Amino acid sequence: MSEAAASAHADHGAHEPAGFWSHYVFSTDHKMIGRQFLFLGLFMLIIGGILAMLIRWQLAWPETEVPGLGWVPEPHMYEGIIPPSTYNMLFTMHATIMIFFVVMPIMVGGFGNFLIPIMIGAKDMAFPLLNMLSFWVGAVAGVLMIASFFVVGGAASGGWTSYTPLTGAAVYTGVNWGINLWVLSLFVLAFSSLMGSINYITTLINMRAPGMTYFRLPLSIWSLFITAVLLLLALPVLTAALGMLFFDRVFATNFFLPAGGMPLLWQHLFWFFGHPEVYILVLPAMGVTSDILSVFSRKPIFGYRAMAYSMIALAFLSWIVWGHHMFVSGMNPLLGTAFMLTTMVIAVPSAIKTFNWLGTLWGGSIRFTVPLLFAIGFVSNFVIGGLSGVFMASTPVDIFIHDTYFIVAHFHYVVAGIIFAMFAAIYFWFPKMFGRMTNHTWGVVHFIGTYVFFNLTFFPMHFLGVGGHMRRIYNPMQYEYLEQFGDMNVFITISAFCLAIAQIPFVVNFIWSLFAGEKASENPWEANTLEWTAPSPPPHGNFATTPQVYRGPYEYSSPEVEEDWLPQTRPLGAAAATGH
Amino acid sequence: MMSWLPENVSTYGGQIDYLFYLIYYITAAALILVTVLMVAFLIIYRQREGRKAVYTHGNTALELTWTVIPAVILLMLSFMSISTWGEIKIYAPPAEYEVRVVGKQFNWDVFHPGPDGKLDTEDDIKIENEVHVPVDKVVHVQLQASDVIHSFFVPSFRVKQDAVPGRNILVWFEVTKPGKYELPCAELCGFGHSGMLGWVIVHTPEDFEKFLKENQEQG
Amino acid sequence: MAREAAARMPKEDLADVMSPVSAYGEGPPPPSRPEPVISNARLGLMMFIGAEVMFFAGLIGAFLVLRLSSEVWPPAGQPRLPVWITGFNTLVLLSSGVAMHRAWLAAAAREQVRLSGWLLVTGVLGTVFLTIQGYEWVRLIGFGLTMRSGLYGSTFYALIGLHGLHVLGALVWVGVVWMLARRGRFAAGHTVGVETCKMYWLFVVALWPVLYGLVYLY
Repeated sequence: MSEAAASAHADHGAHEPAGFWSHYVFSTDHKMIGRQFLFLGLFMLIIGGILAMLIRWQLAWPETEVPGLGWVPEPHMYEGIIPPSTYNMLFTMHATIMIFFVVMPIMVGGFGNFLIPIMIGAKDMAFPLLNMLSFWVGAVAGVLMIASFFVVGGAASGGWTSYTPLTGAAVYTGVNWGINLWVLSLFVLAFSSLMGSINYITTLINMRAPGMTYFRLPLSIWSLFITAVLLLLALPVLTAALGMLFFDRVFATNFFLPAGGMPLLWQHLFWFFGHPEVYILVLPAMGVTSDILSVFSRKPIFGYRAMAYSMIALAFLSWIVWGHHMFVSGMNPLLGTAFMLTTMVIAVPSAIKTFNWLGTLWGGSIRFTVPLLFAIGFVSNFVIGGLSGVFMASTPVDIFIHDTYFIVAHFHYVVAGIIFAMFAAIYFWFPKMFGRMTNHTWGVVHFIGTYVFFNLTFFPMHFLGVGGHMRRIYNPMQYEYLEQFGDMNVFITISAFCLAIAQIPFVVNFIWSLFAGEKASENPWEANTLEWTAPSPPPHGNFATTPQVYRGPYEYSSPEVEEDWLPQTRPLGAAAATGH
Repeated sequence: MMSWLPENVSTYGGQIDYLFYLIYYITAAALILVTVLMVAFLIIYRQREGRKAVYTHGNTALELTWTVIPAVILLMLSFMSISTWGEIKIYAPPAEYEVRVVGKQFNWDVFHPGPDGKLDTEDDIKIENEVHVPVDKVVHVQLQASDVIHSFFVPSFRVKQDAVPGRNILVWFEVTKPGKYELPCAELCGFGHSGMLGWVIVHTPEDFEKFLKENQEQG
Repeated sequence: MAREAAARMPKEDLADVMSPVSAYGEGPPPPSRPEPVISNARLGLMMFIGAEVMFFAGLIGAFLVLRLSSEVWPPAGQPRLPVWITGFNTLVLLSSGVAMHRAWLAAAAREQVRLSGWLLVTGVLGTVFLTIQGYEWVRLIGFGLTMRSGLYGSTFYALIGLHGLHVLGALVWVGVVWMLARRGRFAAGHTVGVETCKMYWLFVVALWPVLYGLVYLY
């Protein structure tokens, strides 16, 4: 990492903390905490990815020896063969890790931390110490989750949705401490998210630079703002449910057990949290995509207010659609009708966003950088994921496709599609985060590989779902009507392996650029937002003087200036003449 | 994509398939529209020397259009779904035959009424993993679970319903074609979830008489 | 301008182009940031209380669903909850809220002795509340009402116990503020420490009548 630019500005009065521990480990600097979250998420992404590969191996070549894993002790594996109980652990932990320890740390923890203060012109978060705690508490949650692989009985195996009564007592899964640790880990993670969201909201309300009104905030900041509100209000509900689940498991109460309690109550509580959670995951991706599309189309975002309002609408509606996960759960069918209506309504803001992204591209002067390619990839996948959602919103159709691979295809297009926005954001802000540029060619190779194999992996899953292929089954060959899908499962698995291999260029590019990439200037992308007025990487305190904001973040190709960008901080006309 | 759909043999399956196809055509059209526009814009509006991007912040009329059109289509789909949903899940026709299916780790226990035609009597016929029903008759299934949640899924009937411990949930169907149909469990229920598989055997009236008689003799 | 070329291959000299635009460039000193309407500490705490409200909303929602789906409540053979003594205890906790408010008024008026006095009263009343609760719990357990005695016991201990834990946490906070007050920490009029403590205390106090009404009376 280059600290040259940083030290050059040290004489501006920004306090630069000294020492390895306070700088790299227990740092209270929002940018360092953002990088820490990013590295935590990327590390967990590798683990989650390996789990996915094992799942795919089993589905393509059921009950055969996984190459190179003969050493794994029984009962986790039998000479490299995955038993059903381990298979259940694999998909449970794959989902849990990807959702809570990859997408949330990278998009919310990483970019939330790195971007919020610097894009609103603040020196740091409102509560820097709380921010540091947020990361370390999150890291402890990660350690607990990983540790659950190594306890007797193995890791959680009740699905990431952890439906009771299956998870309500150890007897049903045979997993005792694995699920207890799963519960504890998410419980601890909730505290990390709580600290983070309090910090984000307070910072955003109180610490915006002069002139930075709410409707001059970049959409990535808007999305993180709304995400923080959802996190703040949704996670405590999960915490309450997890608390009761823990009581059921450890103190033998029966909140969610049929003896007196209600199994469906867990589902209601879980999805009351779970659907806002979906938007917690996807909103930041939408935000950074909007920013990146605007920068590289050299055009203002199309319908800025509609974009902001549609995100607010998504956030509100996300509280009243949870029942669409439960159409065939035994919930009152009349409620199903009500939830279908709200669910159809929530598709509208998503449609608005998609068309506004198209509107942004229209008439642009598009620069095909790596971040733009990934942002386009995100939009393209989000369209497929959004449209496939309409199938399951319709209650009668959902009867058939519920719990099939159609659902798996749908949420991978949405949630795993976030990885495209994540890569877009990494390539876009890498120069600001680490002071160096990434390699363009390798980035393009990474994009093509990821885009092609992502679609080859997940699109055929729609076919499996239409054929009635259930999710979470260990061996599809046990069913006569699924035997025809053997070849398709092999195809998907090979595509998935290729998708994993396609990440090698990213790893190489990332590490190589970190140490040997071309030095980045302050504003390599000619972007308008405030972070590009600070040095790359920005010093502790970000700005020497508090920036003054004169306009919205998307004034590209404005007729008022000759260049095709107009930074938020640049005074024009009367303001420039009077010195204000 | 839709060619993978298993053959439908229930009376209401056709309505589900109709909606399925309808949504498929609508979403496919939307996907093609968006993809074509996106690719076209990417090609037409690529960066070229001497051309500046159009400076616009939006277009209210256009934005209203693409808000209202999807909203109308989605509401239309909702209202079309409501009646089918009601028919399948809310207004079940009176039973002509009734069985009880109890999900347990990792089997379906099926209770058929004996010659008296009533459940919970001494002549009940209990068979594991086999549901015997007559063709062209409204069948009511009393769906229960004895340990964890299972899900009663017959792809060919377009039936899926979770079995919840402590609850008795009504599922109904009327099959139009005799045959043997797979009945997998569709909700994760433990390590034996995969392979928890039953069969629904739909008999012609003559076969069904035979089935009842045989089991009566055994009982 | 060779702008496009510069965008593709950023060079060091781009900084020259950028400098008039940069916040580091010459120009008028920007006006200072406006003073926020609600200070960071207060806003952060309000957010925390919002999250706490959702946490208890989840628990209370679960309680209501379970309660309404049970035909007989309380189930036969279970001891009745002590309504009267807990009603008295409710008054104790409510009066601690009044004491906390008085402490805050004293802090605002910079009266250090009254501040620590009222904080002490708050703490003592809070302790009395917890002691009576603990005593009642011991009695209920003696009567056979435990976490395991069906929904009645588990919802009771979960809701009331988690509230008790919150009171305990708030009590520690009051204790810390009390010690700081005795050392004159708030003498200079910097009273945000007292104020946030008051907000949280009033939250746990205000939560109690809701729980009392739902769990004991309803």
